[in-house]
Amino acid sequence: MSSPTAESTSPHEPAPSFSAPVHFGGRRSQPGPTFFRVLNSEIIKFRSLLSTLILLASTAVVMVGFGALSAWGTGQFTDAATRDPQAGGRMAAQGGDLAVSAPTSGIAFAQLILGSLGVLLMSSEFTTGMARSTFAAVPKRLPAFAAKLVVVMVTSFAVTAVSIWVAGMVAVPILDNYGLKLDLGSSQSAKLLLVNSIYVAAVAAIGMALGTLLRNSAGGIMSLVGIFFVAPIAFQLIPGDFFKEARKYLPGNTVDPVAAAQHVPDTLEAWQAGLVLGAWVVIPVLLAAVLLKRRDV
Amino acid sequence: MIEANGLTKIYGAKTAVAGVSFTVRAGQVTGFLGPNGAGKSTTMRMIMGLDRPTSGSVTVNGLRYAQHKAPLREVGALLDAKAVHTSRSAYNHLLAMAATHGIPKARVHEVIGMTGLDAVARKKAGGFSLGMGQRLGIAAALLGDPQTLILDEPVNGLDPEGVVWVRNLVRYLAGQGRTVFLSSHLMSEMAQTADHLIVIGRGRVIADAPIRDIITGSGQSRVRVRTDQPDTLRQLLAARGASIEVPEPEMLEVTGLQAKTIAALALENQVLIYELTPLVASLEEAYMELTKDDVEYHSLSAAEAGN
Repeated sequence: MSSPTAESTSPHEPAPSFSAPVHFGGRRSQPGPTFFRVLNSEIIKFRSLLSTLILLASTAVVMVGFGALSAWGTGQFTDAATRDPQAGGRMAAQGGDLAVSAPTSGIAFAQLILGSLGVLLMSSEFTTGMARSTFAAVPKRLPAFAAKLVVVMVTSFAVTAVSIWVAGMVAVPILDNYGLKLDLGSSQSAKLLLVNSIYVAAVAAIGMALGTLLRNSAGGIMSLVGIFFVAPIAFQLIPGDFFKEARKYLPGNTVDPVAAAQHVPDTLEAWQAGLVLGAWVVIPVLLAAVLLKRRDV
Repeated sequence: MIEANGLTKIYGAKTAVAGVSFTVRAGQVTGFLGPNGAGKSTTMRMIMGLDRPTSGSVTVNGLRYAQHKAPLREVGALLDAKAVHTSRSAYNHLLAMAATHGIPKARVHEVIGMTGLDAVARKKAGGFSLGMGQRLGIAAALLGDPQTLILDEPVNGLDPEGVVWVRNLVRYLAGQGRTVFLSSHLMSEMAQTADHLIVIGRGRVIADAPIRDIITGSGQSRVRVRTDQPDTLRQLLAARGASIEVPEPEMLEVTGLQAKTIAALALENQVLIYELTPLVASLEEAYMELTKDDVEYHSLSAAEAGN
């Protein structure tokens, strides 16, 4: 194939394209990666994956669906309670409490889906080989890590917040049917929305740290499930005060103390719970950042 | 210019690269040749700052890769045709890479055109053939219009038209004064593309010379002689300092003497010779010769395997 005819008929001659490097006259005026450029790159990477968009959409669907189901269940429950005159008053009060938490009732699934998304966004860099391209473009590595963390956390927060709000909009007329009031503008509703959205963003950050540390999708998601779903149950089943006490410090048990209107017995104080969740995010993220910087890609 | 100095990489008990030093100069195509597992890819990953050297250092244009302000504008690399997220389209992959350096969209379209990817640019990179993957990797390497190009096995999986295209491209880029560092395990490919050759085997540099020197250096005056008095002739030739192999009963392979000298010697001593052939080693043979002791995975011949 090295005959002159083959070369001259080759449709991809490099010469013409290189003869006019118009875009690169001012090489010095166009430096390399800034944080905002890297962030822009991570946003392009994020939105150009169909699987990511599907996970975000399923989060919204599940959240809104559970909000509606929960509103309906709460209504049925209150209905049944009012027919029993003895327990009526007490149940009605509880029904009111349940109503306010209807929009956030799907949060366990949101944390699972978006936490897994956090794992996948980093682990897939390594499993597909994309990491070599990413860290060749940003050899200092940490800006790319930070940019991805920002994208993961902001998206998780936004998707959760919007889903909770829409779930609330759907729950209000259903609850209204049963004569229950849900005021989405109340401070307790706003607090639930904010705390739960921050919590899911935190879980996504933990997921991303696990994905960075393990570089393996299945391993990262299993670890996440272990921390958020298996450990709480296991700690409850193991007899002894140590595990009963330790259970309070699991990240999944930090939301209720912060979000509840009053202190819930057998949980941490709100400020303690906030700090514990913060530690659950900061420690794995720092560890992941340090190891990402040191390890071979 | 790429300068490696005592570059070493040890993975656990295995030494992948054992203290290599070399210089890759601008304005020519430098081939990086070695059998599989010789340490080529590891060396290239260390140049790109992806793997940390156990010891030693490597710089591109005087700075470590990570120290460059705009690395993609300095060095373009094809390290692995599959260094792409499989579910992302080629266009979005290039767009995301370009975004890190503020490289305009127009340049993304330009490299897509240059590499002939227009038809598949919107398709998922995971569905690409090896050849298309190589073109995408080359497109990514060209994005920043870099002065230095590092291409790991770029012709792997390309069709003949693609091989010619890569050959022309790298020759063209080197002709513009750029540094081109190209690895391959195929000697024949190097013979047609490279000006200078660095041969590596088991993590060590075996040869570092212009390609012409490597061909002639190894093929120096080897002569095949057939005679019916091999023992007599062998003693005569050995007395003149030649080294002699006897592959067949009446055949000698003589290194270190010219054909004419051998003929004269035979005539003087009344030894009948019925073949006298100067052997010029092809680059392939020269390569085999250079690396025969340094190949990590020897293949057994069918006969040996049968035992």
